[in-house]
Amino acid sequence: MVINTFIKGIFREALARKIILTIFGIISFFILILILLITNEAVRFLLSALEQTSGGNMKDAVILFQSEIISKTPLLMLMCSYIVIVSAFIPSMLKKGYIDLILSKPISRFQIVTGHYIAGTVLIFFMNLLLFVIIWIVISAKTSVWHFPFLYSVFWFTSIFAVLYSIVVLMGFVTKNNILTIITSISFFFPVTWLLYWLNKYFEQDTQNIVFSSFAEFFIKFFYYLFPKVWDIQDICISVVKAEPLPDNYFVSISSTVLFTLVMLTLAIYYFNKKDY
Amino acid sequence: MALIEINKLTKEYSSGIFKRRKVLALSDVSLNIEAGNIFGLLGPNGAGKTTLVKVLLGIAFPTKGAAKIFGKNVKNHRIKKQIGYLPENHRYPGYLNGEEVLNYFGLLSGMKYKDFKDRIDELLSLVGLEKWKKMKIGKYSKGMMQRLGLAQSIINNPEIVFLDEPTDGVDPIGRKEIRDILLDLKNKGKTVFLNSHLLSEIELVCDRVAILNKGFMIKEGNINDITAVSDRYSFLTSDIGDDFINKLLLNYNAVIRSKNNIIFEAENIEKLNLIIDYLRKENIFIHGINREKDTLENMFINLIEQQKQQHLNGN
Repeated sequence: MVINTFIKGIFREALARKIILTIFGIISFFILILILLITNEAVRFLLSALEQTSGGNMKDAVILFQSEIISKTPLLMLMCSYIVIVSAFIPSMLKKGYIDLILSKPISRFQIVTGHYIAGTVLIFFMNLLLFVIIWIVISAKTSVWHFPFLYSVFWFTSIFAVLYSIVVLMGFVTKNNILTIITSISFFFPVTWLLYWLNKYFEQDTQNIVFSSFAEFFIKFFYYLFPKVWDIQDICISVVKAEPLPDNYFVSISSTVLFTLVMLTLAIYYFNKKDY
Repeated sequence: MALIEINKLTKEYSSGIFKRRKVLALSDVSLNIEAGNIFGLLGPNGAGKTTLVKVLLGIAFPTKGAAKIFGKNVKNHRIKKQIGYLPENHRYPGYLNGEEVLNYFGLLSGMKYKDFKDRIDELLSLVGLEKWKKMKIGKYSKGMMQRLGLAQSIINNPEIVFLDEPTDGVDPIGRKEIRDILLDLKNKGKTVFLNSHLLSEIELVCDRVAILNKGFMIKEGNINDITAVSDRYSFLTSDIGDDFINKLLLNYNAVIRSKNNIIFEAENIEKLNLIIDYLRKENIFIHGINREKDTLENMFINLIEQQKQQHLNGN
């Protein structure tokens, strides 16, 4: 009931702040580009080129194209936009005169934090749904290849957002400022987790580590395992879309990321529970 | 059992980032408020009035002591289902209109929409905002916001309403309307906890008052008792001549308001009767005797001054 009210409230706020309209604009722009790029001639050309070179078929080309859509750069752009969109939700709730009203209602502080967290995640889920479903329809209609696993990206991208949103929520409560929330949350996502991801990839290679001392390696790996593995989850998403076997470390990546998210939310709840307003 | 029980409540805030400094907002405040009353909490700015309400509503936490509402600890958020609150300088999302504000806060109060949808129009009409219910509240004036805030605070038909400066920014007619709403709530058996520095407002509607200053409770009681001055009596008499007036001034230290209204000081009933006997002996007719009451404002200022003086003497 309360969560439902918060979801409605967040959607209302997103509508009022023209967030939904902006997202529609961005999605329409991408779709227009896709429609312009994937012409019938381009599809025919791609098919003949694939047959002549590697004997591949249209489905492989479509899967490759779809996996590029969910690659690291689009993920970075999309998540940064989402962080900017949702960053104001907590600081605006904490404004003097408004938080007093919220806290005077028969809702626990736990419900307020989780309600806002779920509401923000649901909003982004619908945005992802809209974005990926339309992209999928456009590609599929143009190529006649209806590759359903691409739609799983909606859930994977929402999950990645949910991880980052737990940081946004905590930072929102601590800083009460959306600019500071954006800066800290985005810096955590990029470059911190991004660097840790690539450094870990480097250590996993068979070649001998000549750059870092063993202490530095331990230090980096410690933070790699401590922090969420959003880029590894994106690898899992690509594997799912490509229908390939999941990466070896998928369980560790998912479980440690879920744990990190829970820790962030617990910290946010603890901080909010102790705070006088 | 009192509806609101406050027992030795102390609240300290910490301020400063590097050098933490303790600020005492409430000190050993104890208070009981019965159901069906309009209770007024008075105090100068920074007295701790808002802090006390915030502690009662679980918005801030006490450092020491405890408080109960409906016999339950104020930490229990479920009790707030029967509580309404209008904070000072309340703020709503500017993109909502008046109707949507009541809808949103009604739902947050744990009610189902069908249970309060009719009440939205009823309350907007009560506070005189029915014509502006579709207007974005970003365009509302201060007075309109106060009216909306009052409607919001009673959307859930609460047993207790906490109002922090409800008439702030409201014109005199609006104030009268708000007072009428408060009296109507009282008649319906509701309890109203009113925080205000507008003493005349408090005097007009409250049954009981308490005065806070610098976190200390300095006076609490029934408004009629608290404003009564025990040794001053106003005599309404037949016209008195100038010679007799001079005698009264000389012998009884009387204050002459007019030729037929004289104020006497009488510290006990014997002294009062002596004055009556004296007037009657001089063939002065007594039409009435009233115990003089100080205004709440005078009493308030005197108490604050006394406390300031005690504080200075103590130091």
